[in-house]
Amino acid sequence: MTAVDFLNLLIAAVLLAGIYAVMSVGMTVIYGVMKIVNLAHAGFMMLGAYFAYEFFERFHIDPLIGAALALPAFFLFGMAVHWLLIRWLPKSDQPTLSSLLLMFAFWLVLQNIGYLFWGNMDRSIFTPRTLTVLTLGPISISLLRLIVFFAAVLCVCALQLALSRSWYGRAMRALIQNPYAAQITGVDDERIARITFGLGTAFAGFAGALLAMLYSFSPDFGRPFLIRAFVIIVLGGLESVSGVAFGALVLALVETFSILYVPAGYQPAISFGLLVVVLLVFPKGIGGLLERKWRPA
Amino acid sequence: MPDSQPILLQVERLQVKYGNSQALWDVSLTALSGGITCIIGANGAGKTTTLNAIAGVLPVQSGKIIFAGDDITCLSARQRVQRRISLVPEGRQLWPGMSVEENLLMGCFLPQLRSRAQTNLARIYDLFPRLKERRGQLAGTLSGGEQQMCAIGRGLMSDPQLLMLDEPSLGLAPKLVQEIFQLIVDIAKQGVTILLVGQNVNYTLQIAHQAYVMELGKITLSGPGEMLLKNDHVRRAYLGIAESPGSAENPA
Repeated sequence: MTAVDFLNLLIAAVLLAGIYAVMSVGMTVIYGVMKIVNLAHAGFMMLGAYFAYEFFERFHIDPLIGAALALPAFFLFGMAVHWLLIRWLPKSDQPTLSSLLLMFAFWLVLQNIGYLFWGNMDRSIFTPRTLTVLTLGPISISLLRLIVFFAAVLCVCALQLALSRSWYGRAMRALIQNPYAAQITGVDDERIARITFGLGTAFAGFAGALLAMLYSFSPDFGRPFLIRAFVIIVLGGLESVSGVAFGALVLALVETFSILYVPAGYQPAISFGLLVVVLLVFPKGIGGLLERKWRPA
Repeated sequence: MPDSQPILLQVERLQVKYGNSQALWDVSLTALSGGITCIIGANGAGKTTTLNAIAGVLPVQSGKIIFAGDDITCLSARQRVQRRISLVPEGRQLWPGMSVEENLLMGCFLPQLRSRAQTNLARIYDLFPRLKERRGQLAGTLSGGEQQMCAIGRGLMSDPQLLMLDEPSLGLAPKLVQEIFQLIVDIAKQGVTILLVGQNVNYTLQIAHQAYVMELGKITLSGPGEMLLKNDHVRRAYLGIAESPGSAENPA
């Protein structure tokens, strides 16, 4: 492998990592606050893809604007889903079977609503910039991937900033780190949970809309990404945005560079294999390892 | 403290169950405004349960909690914080991954308290200069004594009328224990009513205006602090001091 190949692959991996981070971060905040493994995340991503698609096909609205519109729309949708379904789940500090079943069932419902409206045909969003490639000497970068990367990183950074600076962000982290202490300082856990679920859904919809610009999609869209999100979250240690960014980078690097050695057909096996290895070797994630080092007691 | 002080907190015949096992049996106690009221007792006697029930974290089977003249038995923990009840819980219960300042600020989380956050923060830093030095440090990296200061600081951030402290001296060096008790006396002097649970019976009873002894979920003895310090049962069971020669067997 030449240095140029290496650099090209590295750039591709970093660009991919941005997308992976934005699609995993929503699951992470929901898991952190509510200890719910949001299997319906894939369904929300699929809806996000069709959201951008419909705006593009019907009103010729640029999919990037469609993705930005998806943020508030899916935030409200997520809050409604929480109010209708999630808040009735028994509270627990661990993932419960009932929450898994509910989210899985909700995913199936979303998927079938998708088939009802859009059939099982693959769709894609094609704009003039879809095939534009920027070349810098021997290095070539897809413009679209670059744009998607910046949009993703911008949103993840905004989320991190909100979590660290705002009263609600602090309350959210307080609920993640010690729910009892949050309760005695007057944090309304149900309200924070509703906002968190809205936020997680907003990020799913946003990620779906971004992915729709890069890949074709059907109502089953999201499934392979859901598995990757799992790997990333486990890699990152489940509960922090920086952990997710780290996990996303690791998975993207492994996937991208494995192209050199592993046939494309075995690609999905890579994320699965990584998941098994991580669970065996670092059950708390690599992020968890670092955290233990930095935060004694 | 004069006896004419009004009653701030009155707990009447409180019963609390964890599943099928009963933790509190008919617990009644009162805390006078501005005073220091203490509960002592062995591990598992129900002291922490009592504080958690008053804070609204635990559901109550029966009985009443009256605070500043209002029945608050059915209010949520959040509503009780609004009424200025504050708990410094057992084991400090800080957020280890948040900075000292963030931990303190969370004490002012309620919207109606937020405008006072900066003023109160400055006051807490005056009280604990050590916390000011470490404001940006993660709470999980503090020493035990600093963590306790941080927990008390968080409890004071909401300008409480009633400050409940659960075992504030647990696991601290003897010199620090003394400091913490002095601090509690100082806080009480500023007009904050204190409800203190302590395993350090000697110190606790010395500063208590009114004290309760709890055993197996029941209040078995009560009286002014100095009086309980002289009580044979208390001396034998909690201070490890043999009864004074010549005194008769005195079951509580």
